[in-house]
Amino acid sequence: MQRRDFFKKIGSVAAVGAVIPVMSFAADAPKPVSPNKMDYKVAVDAITGGKAPVKSSKVKLKVPEIAENGAVVPVTVEVDSPMTDSDYVKAIHVLSTKNSNARCIDVNLTPANGKAYFSTRIKLGGTQEVVGLVELSNGEFLIASQSVKVTIGGCG
Amino acid sequence: MAEERKSLIKIKPKRYKDGEIVKVSFMVMHPMDTGMGKDKKTKKIIPAKYINSVKFNYNGKDITTMTVWESLSVNPVFTIYMKVNGKGKLTVTYTDNTGEVHEKSKKIKPKG
Amino acid sequence: MKTGIKIALSVAMLASLSFGGEQFAMSDADRAMYAEMSENNPADIMIADGEELLSYMGGDEGLAKYLGVSEDELPSYIAGFPRYIKKFDMVVGLDQVLQAMMADGGHKPLKLKSGNMFAMVAYVKSIANDEPINIDVNANPQMKEMYALGEKTFMTKRGGRGLSCNSCHSPDVIGRVLRTQPLPDLSSKGVKAAATWPAYRMTKSSLRTFQRRFQGCMKNALLKVIPLGSKEMVALEIYLTDKAKGSEIAIPGLKR
Repeated sequence: MQRRDFFKKIGSVAAVGAVIPVMSFAADAPKPVSPNKMDYKVAVDAITGGKAPVKSSKVKLKVPEIAENGAVVPVTVEVDSPMTDSDYVKAIHVLSTKNSNARCIDVNLTPANGKAYFSTRIKLGGTQEVVGLVELSNGEFLIASQSVKVTIGGCG
Repeated sequence: MAEERKSLIKIKPKRYKDGEIVKVSFMVMHPMDTGMGKDKKTKKIIPAKYINSVKFNYNGKDITTMTVWESLSVNPVFTIYMKVNGKGKLTVTYTDNTGEVHEKSKKIKPKG
Repeated sequence: MKTGIKIALSVAMLASLSFGGEQFAMSDADRAMYAEMSENNPADIMIADGEELLSYMGGDEGLAKYLGVSEDELPSYIAGFPRYIKKFDMVVGLDQVLQAMMADGGHKPLKLKSGNMFAMVAYVKSIANDEPINIDVNANPQMKEMYALGEKTFMTKRGGRGLSCNSCHSPDVIGRVLRTQPLPDLSSKGVKAAATWPAYRMTKSSLRTFQRRFQGCMKNALLKVIPLGSKEMVALEIYLTDKAKGSEIAIPGLKR
């Protein structure tokens, strides 16, 4: 009996109708401001202390050319480094050139990592460049960047 | 009452030896609200709530620390490598900008 | 007037359909990068959660007992869902089995649309990971009937634009791109979609079931949304699961 009631309940769900989206023509409210607004150039200077980073093929930045979805963009930064006590990657910074806060994440590594690698997923507000900025233990800064096209993409 | 967040530490490969360099991922269900999004129903701005620091501690030593900003994706993932150096425990701790603190640990058991 | 709008819409839609070779589609390297991401699928956390929820009802063992199979048989039995179950005299999906199990166990059944239910369904289906889908749509008259209904649901043109599932998901659309997304062919034999749902949807930042995905598609194509667990919805899942027969189950999937 109980079971029958239970399935009846499932049946009653079937009465739900379609939801028709209503378009709103109301004026948009002013856009909220990012709590941590920072331009890309300011962010890079803040990290390097004004030192110019060197473009390097040692920094392998992996991002998609076209993002399926701006809310989830995979980013991987890998650096050629022996990761020994005397020669290692101190930090990997991930930045974006046009997000209202250019900074995404600062990762401080140690020789105990064994490999200079970091991977995550970031949000991109639009088409722009993603940047991997790397600080070495000798104080040098290396950089790599790639443009990511962000689209609305697909259905639903 | 704050709901306990769900998180997971994954180590790849699952079986590893002492001295091996393994891939470690920390995943957590966190909204990573930027403070710029709106609630679809109420049209109100959702206040910023994002992870702002993550720490990987292995046997009492911070092997990796991170400063995090709001532009990481919802339900973020943090993947690094780590050199296995004896039996012990890996603990990942994060804090967010509203003061929330969360900790997740995993036993490190090298085979051979 | 109305017809005018309709025509304008369909023209706009055709215009936005382009061929895959065009510059704005993702490259294979990009796709590989996304595929690599499934290594750390956020849905793994939800699946762990679903496992915990099931443990309150006796875990895998309890489920196997409820379904009248041994624990060893459970994975391949799960790989045959949706299926006809005699004690319900109904063709049901895994979510409905879980609801019935909750009700019989004296628990208040979770709603089919709840996140906890999605987590449980995903966990239960993941028990059958690596197991080939073995749905048998000819097993009995009930399954035959549901398969036919599923095909009808897939093919019937509905809604303001007169679209059916088949309009956008038939082999004829292979290679076509709608707003950078290649339209997936769902109606050919061997299409594996059913083996990778429930999945984490990046656009929704959450775990979704196959039926829930159908709903999202219907809503966007302006078709009246069919309720989860309704006869038509289960039938549609059966129709598409049959296409994936023989494909190895890999839960959770990771989708755009």
